[in-house]
Amino acid sequence: MKPVNKSVLEEAAQKLMFEMDEKQYDTLLEEFHTILSQLELIGEIPGVDEVEPMTFPFDVTNSFLREDVTQKPLDRDVALKNASDVVDGQIRLPKVVG
Amino acid sequence: MNFEAVIGLEIHVEMKTKSKMFSTSPVTFGDDPNTNIAPLDMAFPGTMPVVNKQAVINAIRVCHALHMSIDDELWFDRKNYFYSDLPKGYQITQQRRPIGSEGYLEIETSSGKKRINIERLHMEEDTCKQLHSWDCTLLDYNRAGIPLVEIVSKPEMKTGEEAMKYVEKIRSIVSFLEVSDGKMEEGSLRCDVNISIMPVGSKVFGTKVEIKNLNTLVNIQKAIDFEIKRQEAVLLSGGVVQQETRRFDEAKKETVLMRVKTDAVDYKYFTEPNIAPIKLSKQFIEDAISSSPELAEVKLERYKSLSLNDYDSNLLISNKDNCEYFDAVVANGANAKLAANWVLVDIQAILNKEDISIKQFKVSPKHLADLIKLIEKGTVSNKQAREIFVKMQENDADPNELVKAMGTTLISNESEILAIVKQVLDNNPQSIIDYKNGKDRAVGFLVGQVMKLTQGKANPALTNKLIVQELKER
Repeated sequence: MKPVNKSVLEEAAQKLMFEMDEKQYDTLLEEFHTILSQLELIGEIPGVDEVEPMTFPFDVTNSFLREDVTQKPLDRDVALKNASDVVDGQIRLPKVVG
Repeated sequence: MNFEAVIGLEIHVEMKTKSKMFSTSPVTFGDDPNTNIAPLDMAFPGTMPVVNKQAVINAIRVCHALHMSIDDELWFDRKNYFYSDLPKGYQITQQRRPIGSEGYLEIETSSGKKRINIERLHMEEDTCKQLHSWDCTLLDYNRAGIPLVEIVSKPEMKTGEEAMKYVEKIRSIVSFLEVSDGKMEEGSLRCDVNISIMPVGSKVFGTKVEIKNLNTLVNIQKAIDFEIKRQEAVLLSGGVVQQETRRFDEAKKETVLMRVKTDAVDYKYFTEPNIAPIKLSKQFIEDAISSSPELAEVKLERYKSLSLNDYDSNLLISNKDNCEYFDAVVANGANAKLAANWVLVDIQAILNKEDISIKQFKVSPKHLADLIKLIEKGTVSNKQAREIFVKMQENDADPNELVKAMGTTLISNESEILAIVKQVLDNNPQSIIDYKNGKDRAVGFLVGQVMKLTQGKANPALTNKLIVQELKER
């Protein structure tokens, strides 16, 4: 695994279009350090590589599928209520392609 | 140096279910933006995905048509990426266990039949639609969550033609199965091409270039043929093909660079924890398949068994709406050959002229069947039928009523026709001599004379029979 350092975080922030200040970088690096050292500890447990990921706490399957029936959709005003910039019933963003 | 191309296709098919893949909002095309959304489609907290049964049935039907093995347990995964078209920040898809795997289909190209193997078919949800204008991007969530199947071929195609035929076949399958409109121009069938070239006989694939968003069959072929030549030129001039994404510029008829791929994106897939695995019973899978609409290939065989010729059969199945109309005419008791002729010739001419589809055509299959039955019974001649047909187009009038109103019923009374036949023969002694001298044409001329006297109302078959009979006696 790639070590998590400042430049890795900067690259991720750039990709995610976040702006962070120095203090936030420091906090995040510290948190990563804690998490990763805990994971290292877990990695020392013998045979841990062979354990399958447990997505579901119980080994269950069901057979339920929803009937293909529609329900009244949200009113547009309600659906777009949280958006800060709406034009012609659409959410407006800064242009995302060049 | 000679090169050969290696082409693989990824096809996204938007399903025409009533509701979305994981929510109950309606699936529509062309509605006002953001009017068909449920809280889940916009990823509001606390919403949970519930799998649409019809979407699963549709996926099973496509898998079956593509001869795939069908997984009897449904698992979904999250594909994580950050982009404005994806409200949740991940797309629910089937990465680890696709519903269909290891299938194939057969295509027919100018160089013969070829089997194209298919790696996988999985279900997923569509993203929201982005409209890019010069200064901003607008988001419409109506499309977010529409069920999709993605069909991934093995990289086994070698030419633009093969790829085009492959897509054409997939389109035929999904539209005959009524799983999707399969309309490329409206985006309900979208095709991405992966293409590389290598020296003939090589085992090592070249660097792969992706061509995105091809929206017509013709463009698929053109884009691939162009791209093969472009990559050849790059290699022959000593360059290297970059790993990149290109798009097809319709005006220039060439592929143009969109972006260079630097590193592979890691989508950090993991099992969707909000959908517990769903067990599909054997019965459920079998029912989905046995209740499935008829595929084009099956229709073709059935048409041949109705004694239609290859040409007519193929022409019919090239248009699904025409097939439906034809099937309905035959189901209403019309002779199949006559029905095919009416649909492919008479009706087609009107559709072309008025630039409409058969769905907008006024005459109902039932009434066309009635008209054909009148011809078969000899109640009306072909010529009269065509006159009646013109009237039927006004308001789908009942041909039986029209026949009564027009008084066009054929004279099928033998003695009545025989009297006219005798009269015609008496007036045309030369024709009798011609007939005796072996000129069969004379019969046609005499039938024409009888028709003239009866204003076309004499039953043609009967007239013909009586003339020959009378000629032999003289």
